[in-house]
Amino acid sequence: DATQGTSGDCKPCPCPAGATCAVVPRTGEVVCTNCPAGTTGKRCELCDDGFFGDPLGQSRPVQPCRACKCSDNIDPNAVGNCNRETGQCLKCIYNTNGFFCDRCKEGFYGNALAPNPADKCKPCSCSPLGTVGQQTSCSQVTGQCQCLPNVSERDCSTCQPGFFNLQSGDGCERCNCNPIGSTN
Amino acid sequence: TRPNVYPLPPGTHLLFSQSGRIEHVPLEGYEMKKNDAKAVLHLPETVIIAVAFDCLEKMVYWTEITSPSISKASIQGGDPVEVIGSDLGSPEGIAIDHLGRTMFWTDSVKDHIEVASLDGSQRRVLINSGLVNPRAIITDPPNGNLYWADWNRDAPKIETSYMDGSNRRVLVKDGLGLPNGLTYDSHSSLLCWADAGTHKMECMHPGRGDRRQVMEGIQYPFGIASFGKNLYYTDWRRDAVIAVDRHTGRESDEFQPQKRTKLYGIVTALAQCPSGQNYCAVN
Repeated sequence: DATQGTSGDCKPCPCPAGATCAVVPRTGEVVCTNCPAGTTGKRCELCDDGFFGDPLGQSRPVQPCRACKCSDNIDPNAVGNCNRETGQCLKCIYNTNGFFCDRCKEGFYGNALAPNPADKCKPCSCSPLGTVGQQTSCSQVTGQCQCLPNVSERDCSTCQPGFFNLQSGDGCERCNCNPIGSTN
Repeated sequence: TRPNVYPLPPGTHLLFSQSGRIEHVPLEGYEMKKNDAKAVLHLPETVIIAVAFDCLEKMVYWTEITSPSISKASIQGGDPVEVIGSDLGSPEGIAIDHLGRTMFWTDSVKDHIEVASLDGSQRRVLINSGLVNPRAIITDPPNGNLYWADWNRDAPKIETSYMDGSNRRVLVKDGLGLPNGLTYDSHSSLLCWADAGTHKMECMHPGRGDRRQVMEGIQYPFGIASFGKNLYYTDWRRDAVIAVDRHTGRESDEFQPQKRTKLYGIVTALAQCPSGQNYCAVN
């Protein structure tokens, strides 16, 4: 209040450099009005949607607000892509998940960080007949499903050479062909 | 305790969200009275996406995504009241049926549309299939219709159904990109949308299926509201509310709040409810 006539009438804004502030008329509360890009809140203490950090170090070490870091696996048209404080990614796409959308989600395998979306995470598609417990998940990296005895292929879809009867659902059985009368 | 809502003078207003606040601009005729623009509500710890207005009780409703919830407050002053506080993923669109006293919202994490009474009771899922990124949702209370848009990049669409979820149909699927905003004007019976993918604003009469481009080359629309011959949309690149004359297809005005961050939903807060009776009251 500059009308009191004392040297302490005007106080500096309790805001980061460059921000202006105003007094809320009814309550007398001081709020920052022009927080730096990416920040918001009464004291510019929060990050805007799409950004994360702790610009004033209120609950963790000071970290300026930065754009969500989600391995290019978020959609810029989405809202709430990451947690405003921790940066945890909340809206991973292309079948990814993890804190930074840096892993394939359950039931998918491949490289979540591949530049081309088509090369990222592919479905495991484990064959139900050849997979232990009819699991739908596979090795995150190789995509290998967990096969029943004597079953082969990444997706456990065929019997090993010399074995048959994938249909049993218990693995494949040895063919038991007579070596003398068989061609292989 | 200090009241959170700064009361609005009578008249028609635009209400729009800007991260942790809901702002308003009074309308005088079609003109935005920019010098009288003010915050209605300041909740810095939240990220407010969609806003809707109940013309009967003069309440603004909004969705919040940081700790997902739906709340309301009287624009004549008072404290916000939470109406839905659990089992929400990312509520991004909200619409009010002022005649039926219900609200509808989209959830882009749960990929469904829900309905509840305005106090949050009698909540149920209305549409739970075929949705990928549902966002904008709009009601046409006198005719009992619901409209919504899904910005699914692989197959964006605008759909309609009755307010009980029955008679669901796709209205538009071709020539869409990211249809973020949707609005319905009951006077002209026009459904209009703003698309951040095609950078176009278009309108159609849902019954007739005619479709007309209002404007092209717009930057990044998010929300859209209608009032008479005008459309007002929020833009993520311009951080502004832009007024467009629907007949001439020209931009007529722009309002850029002092705070430069993204603007989200926008709604026209009418001084009086439009005339029309509840479709359920007819028989």
